[in-house]
Amino acid sequence: MPACATKAHAGSPSVAEGPVRMKILLVEDDAATTAYLVRGLREHGHVVDHAAGGRDGLFLAGNEPYDVLVVDRMLPGLDGLGIVKALRAARVQTPALFLTTLAGIDDRVAGLEAGGDDYLVKPFAFSELLARLNALARRPPLTDSPSILSVADLEMDLPSRTVTRAGRRIELQPKEFQILEFLLRNQGRVVTRTMLLEKVWDFHFDPRTNIVETHMTRLRAKLDRGAARSLIETVRGAGYTIRAAD
Amino acid sequence: MRLTRILRTASFRLALLYVLSSSASALLLGAVVFWIASSALNREMRMRITAETAALVSEFRAFGATRVIAAIRHREQGAGSLDYLLQGAGGARLAGDLPGLAGPGWIDLSLGNREARGQAIEHGGQPERVRVLATALGNGMLLAVGDDLSRTNAAKTAILGAFASVTGLVLLLGILGGVLLSRAFLRRVDAIAVTAQAIIDGDLSQRIPVHGTGDDFDQLAATLNRMLDRIAALMESLRQVSSAIAHDLRTPLARLYQRLDTARTHAASAAEYRQAIDGAILETDEILGTFAALLRIAELEAGTRRSRFRPLDLSALVLSVAEAFAPAIEEATHTLVLDVAPGIRIAGDQQILAQMVSNLLENALRHTPAGATIRLGLERAGKAVRLVVADNGPGVPASERGRIFERFYRGEQSRTTPGSGLGLSLVRAAADLHEAVLSVDDACPGLSIGVTFQPSVSCPPAP
Repeated sequence: MPACATKAHAGSPSVAEGPVRMKILLVEDDAATTAYLVRGLREHGHVVDHAAGGRDGLFLAGNEPYDVLVVDRMLPGLDGLGIVKALRAARVQTPALFLTTLAGIDDRVAGLEAGGDDYLVKPFAFSELLARLNALARRPPLTDSPSILSVADLEMDLPSRTVTRAGRRIELQPKEFQILEFLLRNQGRVVTRTMLLEKVWDFHFDPRTNIVETHMTRLRAKLDRGAARSLIETVRGAGYTIRAAD
Repeated sequence: MRLTRILRTASFRLALLYVLSSSASALLLGAVVFWIASSALNREMRMRITAETAALVSEFRAFGATRVIAAIRHREQGAGSLDYLLQGAGGARLAGDLPGLAGPGWIDLSLGNREARGQAIEHGGQPERVRVLATALGNGMLLAVGDDLSRTNAAKTAILGAFASVTGLVLLLGILGGVLLSRAFLRRVDAIAVTAQAIIDGDLSQRIPVHGTGDDFDQLAATLNRMLDRIAALMESLRQVSSAIAHDLRTPLARLYQRLDTARTHAASAAEYRQAIDGAILETDEILGTFAALLRIAELEAGTRRSRFRPLDLSALVLSVAEAFAPAIEEATHTLVLDVAPGIRIAGDQQILAQMVSNLLENALRHTPAGATIRLGLERAGKAVRLVVADNGPGVPASERGRIFERFYRGEQSRTTPGSGLGLSLVRAAADLHEAVLSVDDACPGLSIGVTFQPSVSCPPAP
């Protein structure tokens, strides 16, 4: 397969390289959470606007171009669901992540039905939020669905569901294929254990067993056989990432 | 029972409304009958007067005034006769005792002095009213024939009286019936109110008495009692959870506190602080995990998620969870044996069922030594569907088996293994939500936990 010819359609690897500054709107009424999040996001080089109430948040989100919205479910005035519903009704498609202290799946479903794109239950690790925001803000448009995903010398052909590394064919189990696909679609960005549980297994609960780790071990063993460099890196305390050589 | 309370009851008001409306219709009927009767009586009276007048006029034409005078005198002798007057030119009275009249036509007269003429007193001294038709006979002569209005009035009074007494009787019986009905209703309502008040005062064991007649009050009482049973069960479970939380969260919170306190007093380097913080975060994660599990169990027990049930392929779901755990089970040097019949469908909540199977596998994995075998089975049992997770580990003593689903229960051997003691509680809550029956058996050796889904939940195979 002529790799050079197909790589032009393989998404845009350059977008994934290096830290990208996101313009983020945080709609949150709790002062401590706000300080924690604003500080963390700014330290990672992002621009953060903050609104403490639902109506202010809706106004800002409707009038400023943001890369991603972080919206608390419980807000004074207009609640988080209301904001995102109103935005979607006004055809504002900025990706939105809900924060909540409610743990039920019903709330998650309600959030997604209202037009939210992701959902995080408080309390959460900052790295989890950051990983999800990165994945949301640079989610490729739906029309742009490449048939080949690649990183370094690894190539994944989606229609034929085959994976090759340096031209060597690698046989993967369906879940291993899904894990690799998710990593490749988010290459250069951190993918957390929880994100993998949700996307690959559709588990919206936290098994106490190291399901992700054991699958990852198997996937790595298959990918790195005879290779000099391990493709999937572990990001300590956060998750996994796949990227081209530094 | 105070009368004012009865008068205020809805049933009494309804009865009163009913009685008033039936009285109103009786009165209306009375008015119509009265009107028809009185117009008929009046018409009859006019006809009598007109006929008599015509007879006398024809006698006058044929035989002259003298014959008429004689006829009038003759007729006045009879009992209940009409009243007459024959008046000559210039107003001279020729015969009869009606007062003098000015001209022809219908006229109502009031006669005040009948007694003076020696006639029977018919109206107790009241002036008698007479309807009179005066006819001109020519030559200034006037013939008048009248009839006593009181005769028709007596009939009218009789009709009115009859209707008035019937209406009065209806009102009286209706109100009496209303009071009796209301008393009966009030007694039943009071029984409910007394029970409710006892519950408000703190005795949730009170139940509304059921009379066993199966009437609407009994049905209401039975429904309310079922509601109270449900509330009592929820309260009891809440009480258990509260005490369990208080007891079981103290330990990890105390550990967290000790770690932080130790770091504050003893840590000398940044690395030691970092280590203490990492440890504290792990401890916090543990506590948050316990909270999440408790919240999830509470959510399942509330039962509201049943509305989200969808038909799903339970075989595929079980295999998918097994596949997720396979590497971890293998890494722990356990063996997973799958015995899953294909194409079994039930109506349920996919997320909760996946977590239930996960927890069963984790429970088996955690409480068996290395090298153990875990069997995950799904099979049809008649019309029901049975899920089994069995291991060949140490098992649970028969006396303890009933307790393994209790919140925070941990067997003697597993006191030291990590875990919240909530995994199987969630399994029970998930099973209850799906109306499935749990069973715990000796796998000889080992433990076997079965979940049997009832036929109402299981679906026929997809076409």
